[in-house]
Amino acid sequence: MMTVVASSPLALARAALERGHRPGVALEVYAQFGRTLSIKAFGGEVESVASAEPRGLGIRALVGERRGYAYTGDLSATGLDLVLAEAVANARAADPDPFVALPGKAAAYPLVAGLWRRGLSRTALADKVRLVLEAEAAALGEPEIEAVEETTYAESEARVAIVSSEGVEAQMEQTFCYLYLLAHARRGTELESGQGFSAGREPADLDAVSAGQEAAGKARVLLGAEPCPTATRTVVFDREVAAALLATISAAFGADAVQKGRSVFAPLLGEVVASPLLSLSDDGLAPGGMGSAPFDGEGVAQQSTSLISGGILTSFLHNTYTARKQGAGAVSSGNASRSSYRGLPGVGSTNLVLAPGRGSLDDLLARVGEGLYVESISGLHSGVNPVSGEISVGVTGRLIERGVAGRPVREVTIATDFLTFLKGVVDIAADSRWIPLYGSALCPSFAVDGVAVSGT
Amino acid sequence: MVDTAPGFPGLPKELGMAVLHRALRKGGDLAELFVEERRSLSLRLEDRKVEDVVSGVDRGSSVRVVRGPSTYFGYVDAVDELSLQGLASRLSSGGDGRPGEAAPIVEGERGTGQSVEQRPDGVEVSTKSALLRLVDETCRGLSSEVRQVAAVYAESVQRIWVVNSRGVFATDERTRVMIAVTVMAQRDGVIQTGRETLAHYGGYELLTEQAVCDVARKAADKAVVMLSAVPAPAGRMPVILANGFGGVLFHEACGHGLEADYILKKTSVWEGKLGQAVAGGHVSAYDDGVGAGLWGSAGCDDEGTPCERTVVISEGILTNYLSDLLRAEKLGLPLTGNGRRQDYRHLPYPRMTNTYFGPGSATCEEIIADTPRALYAKSLSGGEVNPATGDFVFGVAEGYMVENGQVGVPVRGATLVGSGLEVLMSIDVIANDLDIKAGMCGKEGQMVPVGSGQPTLRIRELTIGGTSL
Repeated sequence: MMTVVASSPLALARAALERGHRPGVALEVYAQFGRTLSIKAFGGEVESVASAEPRGLGIRALVGERRGYAYTGDLSATGLDLVLAEAVANARAADPDPFVALPGKAAAYPLVAGLWRRGLSRTALADKVRLVLEAEAAALGEPEIEAVEETTYAESEARVAIVSSEGVEAQMEQTFCYLYLLAHARRGTELESGQGFSAGREPADLDAVSAGQEAAGKARVLLGAEPCPTATRTVVFDREVAAALLATISAAFGADAVQKGRSVFAPLLGEVVASPLLSLSDDGLAPGGMGSAPFDGEGVAQQSTSLISGGILTSFLHNTYTARKQGAGAVSSGNASRSSYRGLPGVGSTNLVLAPGRGSLDDLLARVGEGLYVESISGLHSGVNPVSGEISVGVTGRLIERGVAGRPVREVTIATDFLTFLKGVVDIAADSRWIPLYGSALCPSFAVDGVAVSGT
Repeated sequence: MVDTAPGFPGLPKELGMAVLHRALRKGGDLAELFVEERRSLSLRLEDRKVEDVVSGVDRGSSVRVVRGPSTYFGYVDAVDELSLQGLASRLSSGGDGRPGEAAPIVEGERGTGQSVEQRPDGVEVSTKSALLRLVDETCRGLSSEVRQVAAVYAESVQRIWVVNSRGVFATDERTRVMIAVTVMAQRDGVIQTGRETLAHYGGYELLTEQAVCDVARKAADKAVVMLSAVPAPAGRMPVILANGFGGVLFHEACGHGLEADYILKKTSVWEGKLGQAVAGGHVSAYDDGVGAGLWGSAGCDDEGTPCERTVVISEGILTNYLSDLLRAEKLGLPLTGNGRRQDYRHLPYPRMTNTYFGPGSATCEEIIADTPRALYAKSLSGGEVNPATGDFVFGVAEGYMVENGQVGVPVRGATLVGSGLEVLMSIDVIANDLDIKAGMCGKEGQMVPVGSGQPTLRIRELTIGGTSL
């Protein structure tokens, strides 16, 4: 069995490109090497340690105007020949589309500092175990906390290379790690839950105690929760909930959704789509953002793109295909998203950045006066229709009474739609935090007027 | 065993045992080797064009070693002997005790295996493209208000081999085919979508033109009907949940909380309730891993335990939890064949297979006629539960108001919210029209195929979140 020597993803990708070279076919090779580790704790003990060194590559083949894709984890010579042949056969099975194209060679890639940190591989396993046990202990040490679950430390080292017959040659390395846990607080028969997390590029970035206390705190404030009366209210969205909602809405900023008539924003470029207080951008180079990288999933340089400026819709997000389809001089904004070698690049946000307002969360609650402070949301993946823009989700949180978060509520739903939600933003705090739980977002808490809250 | 593409002959028992011994050489209570090869193909049609033709090979192995309370796990994207032995060595290195024991393999009962008349990888890809184009024509032909049709065809053939130090050696081959259709309709600036899926644990023979056109028509119909929908009311009222995907109710309200990992950690509201009445005597529910052709079925689970039909609620009494090897041992529960994993890259967890309430004796029409006012939820769009509190949420993709015992105006944007313990007790009548739909269930960062179903049933009262107050 002949092996293709692959000391790096770039070496492998170059070897595959050379092997697959044939007239009339444009090829792109995406090679990915990784190292992953995840440690889970429960009840003061290590529950599991899982590790792997995944490797694979994906081939995008263009035969005239037809595009096909194939992937494999079998990196032997035979495996490469098979995946190259399949990609070409798949292209022949597709319908022609004049807009399919591979991007050309990039002029230059931006320098994004600090993506790879040595601390990840240099920190001993025992120290990582200590972090996850510390997080759990910090939560369990808080009053009324009965149980903590899903306590996880996870890390990944990712090395990606993209080479193509059009001259693209790109490679990068990134490290990423996080702590996450879910705490359950009990009072009598009532159980409430809260999540905590800490994320960064190496273990030294993580604060285990803070994550544990955060989870415990969020669970405890909900004890005594009951449904609240059905009414239209001003709702303050906690920054994490806001990040989750924005991530769901962000699919509608993709030019792919717009071009396929799947976005409420399609006819609204240049129009008012949000409150004048609201400015939102997709920043692929933001320091501290987990979506930051020199290039996107097809080797196009990443950049910062304004989406909403002072309430006006300024831009959609593009990859090479959607830009060609748009025509009129449109270019890729470096938003070809690809989570692994096992799929085609789509369109996705890198880091969503919502411009902050003023003051802390408490200041915001004081300014709002009366309403509902939403601290967690459920049913997001089924309760949001990105095409119609309708949002109908379950929430828990606390009533805002006389400017302060007071009585906790549960078994409550809120209903609205994207445009009403965005236009209804009346106040924004400056408590922004990087939230890597739903894609990547830098988001403050903000208040929205006129939200239908359904309880009793 | 040499890794020779394109196929590979399988996992010889001797190699399996050797890997287990190596994994246990410095101690351990359990070791397992899981080997998988999966070939997938998917085609996507949108904008009248077949545009994403993607195929791939996923082939790899994982080893699991359990030492006391801790599980050590690793995988490689390879199936050759050298890689397997290397993986086992790496995972043995944490131990420091005497070698653990591996029981000799006991030839257990083999499942009957799936009967597939037409292997999907034997069907030309051009036939599959043509099927998607037929979907497109059918949807657009239904109404001029249909603006967009997106359809996906997907097939997978998965082979697994599992060997563990309890003496289990099992293999299984699972073929799955599906078509999913999403239609977008538009009228006067209002956009609505309708989605319908045809998915089988079976061969290509199940995708007849008639069955596929039927699915296409249903999806288009849903989208067009929902154009006339008004915002759903908010508040508490009776809910009639239609058969089929109304089964998301059981999946979210009860199913997840019965998974033995939550029971073990005491983070489920169903913990400690075995033998108790959790619903009326007319209510029974099942987790059925052997239902013919059902999306979540298999010959054995991903730990080698044969699949079975488990009674979870028997005439109102909570009878069984859903277990995997580890939790069954720790809790003293019977093995139910629910140890499942997304693929070799993941640890198994207790997961549902196909869940449904058993049929009653009423008819759907009788239930509606008997109800003065209700929300009739015809299709649900999935949901979410917190197993610790039992609180669940699910979205209503297609709903109607029932007034004076008659189905009336369609409503949109409704969310149903409730508590698992309460909702089971609130089921007051069940019809005889059991139907089971295919879906994907996510947990622990893994997706597995599941069936969710039920007959039409009525719930006395639920909270509905809508925009109309």
